[in-house]
Parts: sequence; C-alpha cells; structure tokens
Amino acid sequence: MRISDLKVSISGIRGIVGKGLTPQLLMKFSEAFATFIGGGTIAVGSDTRPSAEMVKYAVFSGILSCGATPLDLGILPIPSLQIYTKEKKLEGAISITASHNPVEWNALKLIKKGGVFLYPYEAEELLDLYYQGKFRRVDNPSKIEKEPSPFELHERRIFQFADIDLIRKKRPNVVVDPCGGAAVPFVKKFLERLGAEVICVNCEISGEFPRNPEPLPENLNLLCEAVKTSGADIGFAQDADADRLAAIDEKGNPIGEENTLALAVDYYLSNKKKSPVVVNLSTSKVLEDVARKSGVSFFRSKVGEINVSRKMMQVGAKIGGEGNGGIIAADVHTCRDSFTGMVLLLELLAWSGKRFSELKEDLPQYHMIKEKVNISFREGKRILSKLAEKFKDGRIDFTDGVRVDYPDFWFHVRPSNTEPVLRIIVEALEEGLINMILKKIKEEL
Amino acid sequence: MNDRVRITVSGIRGKVPQSLNVDIASKFASAFASYLDEGRVAGCRDSRFSSHMLEMAVCSSVLAAGLDYIDFGLIPTPFLQFLMKREPFSGGISISGGHNPLPWNAVVLLNEEGAYLEPFEGSEVFNIYESGDFKKASWKNLGAAAERAFPVELYLKEMSKWVNIQRIRESNFKVVGDLCNGAISPFMGIFGEFFNCKLVTINDDLEKPFPHPPEPSIENAAQVEAVVKATDADIGFLINSDSSRISFVSEKGKGLSEELTLPLCLLSLQGKISKVMTTVSTSSWADWAARRIGVNVYKTKVGQSAVIHMMGAEDAEVGGEGSGSVAFSPFSLGYDALLSLAFVLDLMSKEGKSISEIMAPFPEYYMEKCKIEVPPEMTYKIMDKLEKVYAKERPDFTDGIRVERKGLWFNIRPSTTEFILRLILEGETDLLVKCAKAEIIERIEE
Repeated sequence: MRISDLKVSISGIRGIVGKGLTPQLLMKFSEAFATFIGGGTIAVGSDTRPSAEMVKYAVFSGILSCGATPLDLGILPIPSLQIYTKEKKLEGAISITASHNPVEWNALKLIKKGGVFLYPYEAEELLDLYYQGKFRRVDNPSKIEKEPSPFELHERRIFQFADIDLIRKKRPNVVVDPCGGAAVPFVKKFLERLGAEVICVNCEISGEFPRNPEPLPENLNLLCEAVKTSGADIGFAQDADADRLAAIDEKGNPIGEENTLALAVDYYLSNKKKSPVVVNLSTSKVLEDVARKSGVSFFRSKVGEINVSRKMMQVGAKIGGEGNGGIIAADVHTCRDSFTGMVLLLELLAWSGKRFSELKEDLPQYHMIKEKVNISFREGKRILSKLAEKFKDGRIDFTDGVRVDYPDFWFHVRPSNTEPVLRIIVEALEEGLINMILKKIKEEL
Repeated sequence: MNDRVRITVSGIRGKVPQSLNVDIASKFASAFASYLDEGRVAGCRDSRFSSHMLEMAVCSSVLAAGLDYIDFGLIPTPFLQFLMKREPFSGGISISGGHNPLPWNAVVLLNEEGAYLEPFEGSEVFNIYESGDFKKASWKNLGAAAERAFPVELYLKEMSKWVNIQRIRESNFKVVGDLCNGAISPFMGIFGEFFNCKLVTINDDLEKPFPHPPEPSIENAAQVEAVVKATDADIGFLINSDSSRISFVSEKGKGLSEELTLPLCLLSLQGKISKVMTTVSTSSWADWAARRIGVNVYKTKVGQSAVIHMMGAEDAEVGGEGSGSVAFSPFSLGYDALLSLAFVLDLMSKEGKSISEIMAPFPEYYMEKCKIEVPPEMTYKIMDKLEKVYAKERPDFTDGIRVERKGLWFNIRPSTTEFILRLILEGETDLLVKCAKAEIIERIEE
C-alpha cells in the first residue's frame, strides 16, 4: 500500500512542498472553500515557512476565482487570525501553516464565521465540493485587500481580559522562544506592554525553524539555557503558529505542556471565574484534579481544537484546552492561544508570589508517556475492540479511539485519521506502572 | 462551443470563467516555468477585473517551479517587452486580453527577449502542459516574488532616440487620446509632458470597465472625433486595452482606418529602415508607403508571433499589421502603440503638415473586414472547400487563402483568437469589394 504525503482531510489540506502540495491543488482547495463560504471576505494569514509566499498567491487566486475577497493579513499567529475573523465578522479565514510539522510541510487550515474551525460535517461538505470540482467561478473577481496590523485586535482582546496591573507590579523577567514562527513579529512587544522584561530567543525569521517546532521538553534546550543564565522567572515556548505553549521554570526545567495547561486552568478557576472545564480525551488527569479542587464540572471531548471548543460552547465552559499546550480561555476566544496562556501564567506568578518551580510542585504529580506506533489503517481499527476486551474491568470510552480508566492509571489509544499510526497515551501515579501497561497494549499489536 | 479555450502561441485565450480560469492559467504557468527551468520571470497584467486573479495563479505556479517572479503590476504588455529586451529574464507572462472584448482574457507567454513564443517554443510548453509533468522545487528552492516599478523614464529616453524629440517638443501638438481605460492610463500624462504635447485623454480610468470594444477602429472613434473637433486638436488616437494597437483621428475629427497606422509609421521612418515585414491580410497602403520610402516588403502569416519572428529571420527593422500594430525591432520585439504615436508625431513635425495633408497623396482603397461565425468543427471543412473553389486563381496559402485579382485582393482565414473566419477584402472601388464579398459568402454558404 502506498501512503501519499498529501493529506486532504476534514482538517484541511496538508503536504510536502515540491511533492504533493502543488499550486494547483492549493488553488482548487481555496476555490472549494470560497464556494462553500459563498462569497464575502476571507482573511488569509500565514506562519513563517518559506513556502508561505507560493501558497499564499495560490490561495488568493482561488478565493478570487469564486467571488470572495481575500484579505491579506501577512504573517500572523493562528489565534490572532481566528480572533480577527470573529471580531470583524468575516465570512471565513484560511491559515497557511503546517503548525508543528517540519519546515518542508505546509497546509491550509480553514476557519469559518465566528473564528472557529469547520465542524467535521461542514468539512465533509467542503471535501465533497473539492472532489467534484464544481466551483462557483465568477466573471468579475474582486480585489485583494490588505490589513497592516491585524495583531492589535488580538492584543486588545487579551488586555481587556488580563490583570495588567498585577503583572506590571511584579515586573517578571521572561525568556520567550517563538521558534522563528508566526509570533516573532509580535511576542516581545506584547510581553513588554504587559510590564515584563523580555529576552527573545529564536526570534529571527530565517526561512528554517531553529528547532523542531513542537514545544516538547527535548526541543527546548536553548530556551532552558537562556532562562538559567539570565535568571529569568519563567520561560515560554511557542510552536510555529503560536497556538501551543509550554512553560519553563526558573531553574530552566520544562514543566511539560500538560502542567502548563493545568496551572493556567487552576489559576483561572481560583481567580477569574468558576466555570466548567473541557479538555480532550488525551489530556492529563491533573486537569480533572484541578477542576475537582475548585468544585466545577469536568468534561472530556474528542481530540482536536474544534471538538474541545464546541464542547465548551455546549456546556458553557469558559476555560479548557488540550494537553499538548493548547490553552483555551473563552473570554478571549474559544481557540488555543499561547498569548492568553502566557498572560494567565504571568498573573499566577505575580499573584502567588511563589517561584514557578514551586507552583509546579503544588500540582499532583503523574507520569505520562506518549507513543506513536506504525500500523495499517485497518489494523488500527481492529485493535480498539481487542483492547476494550482485554481491559474490560476498566471504565471504557469509545468517543475517540478507545480510552480506559482505572483508579491508578488510564490510557488512550487512537488511530490517526491521516497517517497509518496509532497514538498511545498512558498516565499513571507510578512510573513503573506505565511501562507495564504500555507493554500490555503493545502485545495486541 | 464558443466557450472553448484557445491555446496558441499568441496566448491561452478564453472567456473567464467558462474557459479560462485559475486552474488552466496556473497549469500553463507551471508548464512554461518548467520549460524555462531556471532564472526569473517578468510579469504584468492589464486592467481587466480577472487579470489580478489570473496573475496570482501564475505567480504561485512560477514560484513553485523554483523561478523568481518579478511583478511589474498593471502595465501595458509592450512595456514589459521593452524591458525584457534590455534586462536578462528567462521569460515573461502578461495577463492581458489585448483587443479581445470582455469577458475574455489571456495568458500571453513571452520568450527571453520579450517576443511572443515561436511555434516550436510554444509546442514544447504545450507538451509539458499536456503531460502534467511540471517541475516542482523543494521548499528550500522555491522562487521568490518581488514587485518592481516600470522605469518609464528609461522607456521614454530610449524612444526619443528614434525620433526628433526637439522638433516634436517645439511643435507643441494638441493631442486627444482614448485609452480604453487600459493599462496605459497612468502613464499617458508622462508621455504628453515628455513630448511637450497638450494632451486630453478620455476613458483613462483603470477602475472602470471598457467603454467600448477594446479595438482601435473607426467604429469606436466617435468620442475622440467629437473631442478633437471641440478642442481643435492636431490629432486624436485610440489605443487598445494593452496598448499594442493604435488608430488615429485627423485634425478634422475624422477617424482613420487602423490600416493607416503602419503606412504612417513607415513614412515617418524614411531613411532609417531597409525592410518591412507585414502580413497577407494587411492593406496595400503598407506596400504603397514602403515603395514611397524605398524599402522592401515581406509578407507572412497574421499574428504578432509570426511577424516578429519573420522580422528576425529577414532582418526587417519594422513589422506590422493592419490591426493598428507596429513593432520596431531596435526598440522592442513587440507591437507598441505609444511608439507608433511617437513616430506619427515625428512625421507631422518633420513634414510640417496636418494629418489630413499627409494623408492626401494616399491612393484610394476600399477595404472590408468581416467576421463570419462558423462552428469550430466546420472551420476547416469550409477552408478546404474554398481552397478547391479558388484553386485556379493560384492563391497564396501563407495564411488561409489569399487571392489577388486585378484591382482587388482578399484573404480568408480562421481567427487564431476567436471562433470565426476573418474575411478581408480590399479593392480600388467599393463595387469591386462588394461584389467579391457577396460571391465569397455565397460560396461559404453553398
């Protein structure tokens, strides 16, 4: 079986530049989106990948072809694009970013009215249009429009929500690593306006990512070093499109993306609003503990930002996110936003008067392992019922793959929609237990 | 049927969006960039609503093949051709429907010297298009796009080398121009100042649609005629949307046939040229003017590609067609309306005569140009039939069929840009022309 590097799916279109991701396909996908949206203005933002320019022109021509107006927002973090779309009441937006994927990849992510991603059934409708190629092409295309400073809207929205005086009083020393990505033009000034002293590393747009864009501990050596040597209070790592955040404590140790989310949510619940909490099925149990401590209800959704934000809207949750560092605060917008995450953590730091490493130690300590195993699509589906059978005395949830909960551990096994791989997450109180469970799961493969 | 896209060396032409759309434009740009293989591509567009959209598609495809794209924005195609003769580019792409009416548009491909592609170049590109085997650069080797302003001062300076600039300036001409809301609009004022003309322009707004079919001809000249009379101007002109074709209006406010543009330019170039290339369907006025200034005339197929490349092959400095198109190879390898205007102003200042006085010695010819709509699949059957019908008159087959009789000639050929047969007849009397036309149409309909 040949697996294509081009992925056309309900999450958008993704591929390797110079291989599957051609201007013609990008154009066609944009035509399908403009036809689906039915006209109006479609904002376009990108991250800092060198291929963004080629992709952008293809997207513009596709949007124009089907009677919509492209609004060029230049390099822009994806949460800023989502907020812009919502605040300006635009019909839709396209983000040109392959997010945490390596630099040779690029992708289109589709945002609808209200600044959220397409619901799966909407995305399926779009794909149907795309494959049929029946587009609403017009004979009088409109013109490309430009907006020079679209980030301002995002910043203003956050500043309405943030306790800026609290942060300014603390004058925290911060090191931030935007990974040469979409946050580069904005993040230093943003933090300075909050009253922080800022050192920015990996802060040039060079055409290559200075590190693997995923904010995992093993990718953050430079940032950790900088935090240690500069004596900063905290370090922040963003990914290439600036939706995910991982924090570093003052000793230069990454606290992990799961704990980053947990501290932000904990602070929100104790100092902002009591609200239900929504996270995805793969997120650490520490979030459940945090919610219980504040006495609020707790929900889990399928993996994926749109699934979390949709559930948040359904249950009226103001706070939530994904364990990979995607913090969502609905007061700003129901999207993963590293900028909002930084504000919450800086407020926490100022309010608590504690060191960041101490704050992390206050959280319940779990051990987690995330693994990716190659498996055929068909085999990936079969494995789920086998696992449910094997762990039938646990609490079983088939919402998204299979998740099994026991009092002292849980695991989540989920076949990817786009690649022939199985994602396995195991979390337990004791480290030894993790490997035992992982071994048991792998026996079924 | 008329919605089929036309794919020839004079461009990929079609109605937007039925036959020409971003998908086809981008595939042709990918094929062209794959053919060019490396270097940078110069690009421009006209003022049609669909042109920017098509340019974006083209730009993305050029970058994806690893070539740079230098965007000169909204400028006339001849400007780009002028620059490409002087600066190294691998090729050029102009998004411009030229004389085609809306909703038509075209992707016009230019070779490294700024000339339309020759048939062998065109077929290489079309073969790549057909195979779909486009060059794909990796993310590291993608091309870059850059915007550049067209150096209009250089253009005028080079132009002034071929005319007596001092004499034109001193003549202080009063000129009226209809710019068809085309790409030349923002530049016309600079031209007027440079030649010290008192310039009145109409239809000079890029934001507006074409005021009339974008072909310079007597039928479209009414507005200019009226303004010339009202302002007591020395000359009027009409330019097509991409500024490759021009026709004139006399100081009396009388529209002149676009067939007169080439002969007027020839008279202006007396002593500076030795050969002229024209086509089998251009007026005998061109032959008359060439004889008058003592240069040889060569005739080739209709269309910018054929004329420009035969100019090169025969060392002809001037080439042109009865559509109001003139090229001058020391200046650029493309038809250029502003250059023609400069030549005609030069002629007026040299002779010290009004345009009507200059026209006075021209012999009287009567010409008719007809478009005969035929279904595309019938085109060649009809041509085949006519070939047999006129065989005994020993026709010329350079392009379609050209028959010469005493006091009359006619040429009939399928259009390269539209689905029509073009019939052109010219004779010494109106009656000769009318009779011949009736006869030919009867033969077609038989």
